[in-house]
Amino acid sequence: MRFLGGSVLSVGSVTTFQSEAPLHPAAAEFLGDAFARGWADPSKIHQESRKVALVLNEAKEVYCQHLGLRHDQINFLGEPSLGFHLGISGLIEAESTFYHSAVDRSEVFAVASGVRSKVLPVDITGQYVAPTGTVVDVITYQAVNGETGIPGVSPNGFAGKVFVEASPLISLPKKWNSALWDARSWNGPAGLGILAIADKGWVNPLPHNDSRVTPGSFSAPLAIAGAIALENYIRDFNEHESKIRALNAKIRNFLITQLEDVDIAGDLETALPHLLSFSLLYVDAQLLVDELDKSGYAVDSGSACNSMNMQPSHVLAALGLLTHGNVRMSLRADHTEMEIEKFLSVLKDLVTKIRR
Amino acid sequence: MELDCRGMRCPIPIIKLAHALKTESSIRLLSDDPATLPDLSAWARMTGNKFTQVNNETFDVKKGN
Repeated sequence: MRFLGGSVLSVGSVTTFQSEAPLHPAAAEFLGDAFARGWADPSKIHQESRKVALVLNEAKEVYCQHLGLRHDQINFLGEPSLGFHLGISGLIEAESTFYHSAVDRSEVFAVASGVRSKVLPVDITGQYVAPTGTVVDVITYQAVNGETGIPGVSPNGFAGKVFVEASPLISLPKKWNSALWDARSWNGPAGLGILAIADKGWVNPLPHNDSRVTPGSFSAPLAIAGAIALENYIRDFNEHESKIRALNAKIRNFLITQLEDVDIAGDLETALPHLLSFSLLYVDAQLLVDELDKSGYAVDSGSACNSMNMQPSHVLAALGLLTHGNVRMSLRADHTEMEIEKFLSVLKDLVTKIRR
Repeated sequence: MELDCRGMRCPIPIIKLAHALKTESSIRLLSDDPATLPDLSAWARMTGNKFTQVNNETFDVKKGN
């Protein structure tokens, strides 16, 4: 394809704080090799296929170790979003009420729209009054909110079944029935989900003829590359957590002391330190994101003017936070203090200019 | 005073409202932007001003102390 060699995919010298991080170099190196060799189907019996099956098994061990799972609980998904339907609908019975938080992902709302459900309103810290439920009821537990870094409410007191939108940085709760991870959350490849099914309470909502949990159409190289990325991500995070926390604190402190009228999501004491969401009063996010982009900084935004459907982020609205002028940043170990200082200086100039 | 911001997208209604409040103490804001209700709540919390929602597109805003 002609455009691959051109400038379309060339990023240039942009400092990115976007949630989409480049694939970990170790995983990228493996992927190149795996695809170049036309990696074989692990279910066949050729020598090369058996080799793939062995490596895939090793990858499963990595997932078991880091995600707190048993080998037989792991299912790979080629379409991570499908995991919301599989994971939740598989727990719901005719008498169930499905409880979920107002800050859950739109996929959760989509599943909820087809069953008897109840949205749990949150306060500005993301907390809700946890229902007790009955044994047939179902609740979602979002380990961490992907927009704000705010952790979810523990489902440990819930009488019914628990679906976890899981994070590799937070342990599974004591009681869970199904759990879903997206490999992108650990800088793994897109197009890879891990759906874990605990022992009881789940019935496959898809009309399968056999005992498979997922359709099985995942890419073995991606599943293996995802494990390599996960190992590195956890190691990097543990090694650099205090640095990332300090960078986050530096930005929060700057926003409070140097810019007026800023609404910051969550509290660094409780939130995960690599995510930061703040909204600037009287600032058009589209304009700010464009101007930052021209200055060499890529950030995300939850403001309406930046979304496909022109709706503000339902997460910000549910938390009661300002939805316009929103900036979302993902901090990584390779961001330096100097980069952050330069970014903040550019941000202050642009905000002052836009508000004038 | 009535401030008609229908057809305008966020953050323009809130910017116009804040501007108008410099000279007025009470404003009826008309806005059909879906971000107006959540943003008015956040804005009132951040600035100490007050508002009540009259209907889907109508909000009565009062300057805080």
